Amino acid sequence: MRGNPYIPYPALLKRSYFESDDFSLKTFEFELLDGNRIDYIPGQFCEISVFGKGEAPFGIASSPTEGHILKFTVNKAGLVTTALHEAEEGSILGIRGPLGNGYPVEKFRGKNVLIVGGGFAFTTLRSLLVYLLNSRSDYEEITVIYGARTPGLLLYREELFEWEKRDDLKVILTVDREFPGWEKQVGFVPQVLERTAPSSKDCYAVVCGPPIMIKFTLPVLEKLGFKPEMVYTSLEKRMKCGIGKCGRCNIGPKYICKDGPVFSLAQLAELPEDY
Amino acid sequence: MKKIEKEKLLKHLEGKGDLVRLDEARQDPLSATKSSHLPREELLLLFRLNGDKGVEIRVPEGKGGKILFGVPPCEARAVDLLDLTFLKDRIDPYYERKRRENVLFVLACNKPRSTCFCTSFGYGPFSGKYGDVFMVDIGDNLLVDPVTEKGSKALEGLELEEATPSDLEKMESLKRSAEGAITTVNIEGISEKLKKMFLDEIWADLAFKCVNCGACTYVCPTCYCFDIQDVERTNWGYRERVWDSCMFPIYSLETSGHNPRPTGVERMRNRIMHKFSYYPELYGEYGCVGCGRCIRACPVNFDIREALETLKEVEVAA
Ligand SMILES: Cc1cc2nc3c(=O)[nH]c(=O)nc-3n(C[C@H](O)[C@H](O)[C@H](O)COP(=O)(O)OP(=O)(O)OC[C@H]3O[C@@H](n4cnc5c(N)ncnc54)[C@H](O)[C@@H]3O)c2cc1C
Ligand code: SF4
Ligand code: SF4
Ligand code: FES
Repeated sequence: MRGNPYIPYPALLKRSYFESDDFSLKTFEFELLDGNRIDYIPGQFCEISVFGKGEAPFGIASSPTEGHILKFTVNKAGLVTTALHEAEEGSILGIRGPLGNGYPVEKFRGKNVLIVGGGFAFTTLRSLLVYLLNSRSDYEEITVIYGARTPGLLLYREELFEWEKRDDLKVILTVDREFPGWEKQVGFVPQVLERTAPSSKDCYAVVCGPPIMIKFTLPVLEKLGFKPEMVYTSLEKRMKCGIGKCGRCNIGPKYICKDGPVFSLAQLAELPEDY
Repeated sequence: MKKIEKEKLLKHLEGKGDLVRLDEARQDPLSATKSSHLPREELLLLFRLNGDKGVEIRVPEGKGGKILFGVPPCEARAVDLLDLTFLKDRIDPYYERKRRENVLFVLACNKPRSTCFCTSFGYGPFSGKYGDVFMVDIGDNLLVDPVTEKGSKALEGLELEEATPSDLEKMESLKRSAEGAITTVNIEGISEKLKKMFLDEIWADLAFKCVNCGACTYVCPTCYCFDIQDVERTNWGYRERVWDSCMFPIYSLETSGHNPRPTGVERMRNRIMHKFSYYPELYGEYGCVGCGRCIRACPVNFDIREALETLKEVEVAA
């Protein structure tokens, strides 16, 4: 990151395409201009600027092992995200980052890893999965459980279906309700997790999804024997500066933007319920 | 300590930087000390889109330092507290430049107000360790004492007299009467206690009359929260930061509609927790200097001293 942490790198929007069949989610691929590069790890995020509209934080969906293209998947929600959805390929935007701590990938070496995702929160989980698969032999069993309301709302479908075919990886995809043509799992993520019952032995779990999914997933993990210090999740709160100065993203004395967004359940247990 | 006539000192300081007189503006509701380091609106960058040539970004240049003359000790201490946020971890370059260039001439408070409670925090109206130069107004003269190298530099070239024993005696007597006029709130142990009080019902009582106007945080010399906003213009647009307040609902409102602090109760809790629990936990210092500005500014007479007394009374399970 730059000497002045408020100044974004100019970034060329090389490609953008709809990620979901309801057109609410778009994936953006950026290349930083002027030879700039950022070093990041899965789980970190960036502030994307649409000059004149503002900045908003987004988890990095690409993996550092994929080269220098930065990928984000964005839900159209308000001012900045709408402007982003409307930006044409070839436009110049701004990117500030990497921000936040990221997943503790070093700890995952030699261990089993369980990835549990719901809805469009799969972005940084994709980054993590691609990162792990890049040096597959460094990790033991990898299991992915990912669900969305409908098949068309699953992010990165093509890739998921390819990953499903691999025999060094277990990928379980689910949708909330029966859907014409869908022959994989049906049911909410916590139920599918319970049915699948992955072993908690020597296993780190990373869970990202809407608050309601997290709420019902955590007790299942506990039942399966996952210890709070082995379960990680990524938090969101309204953010501005991304560097622990503007104040708004605090949970007790911690700032999600710089002390997080990734926390273990053990760390969260020490913090007040302020999110 | 040395002494000098006030007029001589002011003449010496003229032309050395933008001179801001706080000795004559102690009644101002907003702290000029805070806004000289963290202005209410501050330009972060300018941008211009040039078609396919990309975006031009300019960082505004600083205007040069200010000489703040007559800063009360509490406000100078507050800047030391702002340093903990803006100069730690990742340095905030906009703040850092002003902090480096501004010179703080602190003036002891001969006449504290009824709302002052600085002595609750282990210092007082005559504490001489804040800012760059410490001054005491003993009537005919100012006693001066450089605190930092920057302070010594600012006094260079001045003919200073040695203070006489009677000058010092005068200072001592002013100090005694000033300190005697201040209410001290015993806040020992409050930060440890607050850690266990996040879910306490007392916050609803404390927040009951608050109208969430945010005045207390705007006038507070240690409050620093800001928002960042873009302004679109046909040629150069700009991005600025503006003061914000944790007392406002939109401060923590998420785009999804979820707000982790939906009512004034959670917001009041955050304000008090930040100053009396989170700041001590992070830095070992309270985030309050006892200046009393919030008490004077509040339209519904919320008094932080009473709030602290109330919090002390609450019984919490061990
Ligand atoms: C760590 C992190 C990672 C995230 N990752 C992703 C991701 O991968 N994909 C994704 O889709 N989302 C992600 N989000 C959520 C995303 O940041 C928000 O959806 C986004 O900020 C919405 O911005 P917006 O401008 O579209 O929304 P708006 O609601 O329009 O708000 C955006 C900004 O506009 C301003 N604003 C809006 N209304 C007002 C008002 N009334 N008064 C003053 N100012 C106002 C504020 O400055 C506000 O911050 C993430 C969030 C975090 C914290
Ligand atoms: S009390 Fe509120 S407005 Fe003041 S610095 Fe703390 S969080 Fe920001
Ligand atoms: S000044 Fe008073 S009414 Fe306004 S937000 Fe502060 S405590 Fe509440
Ligand atoms: S976003 Fe500014 S402090 Fe976290």
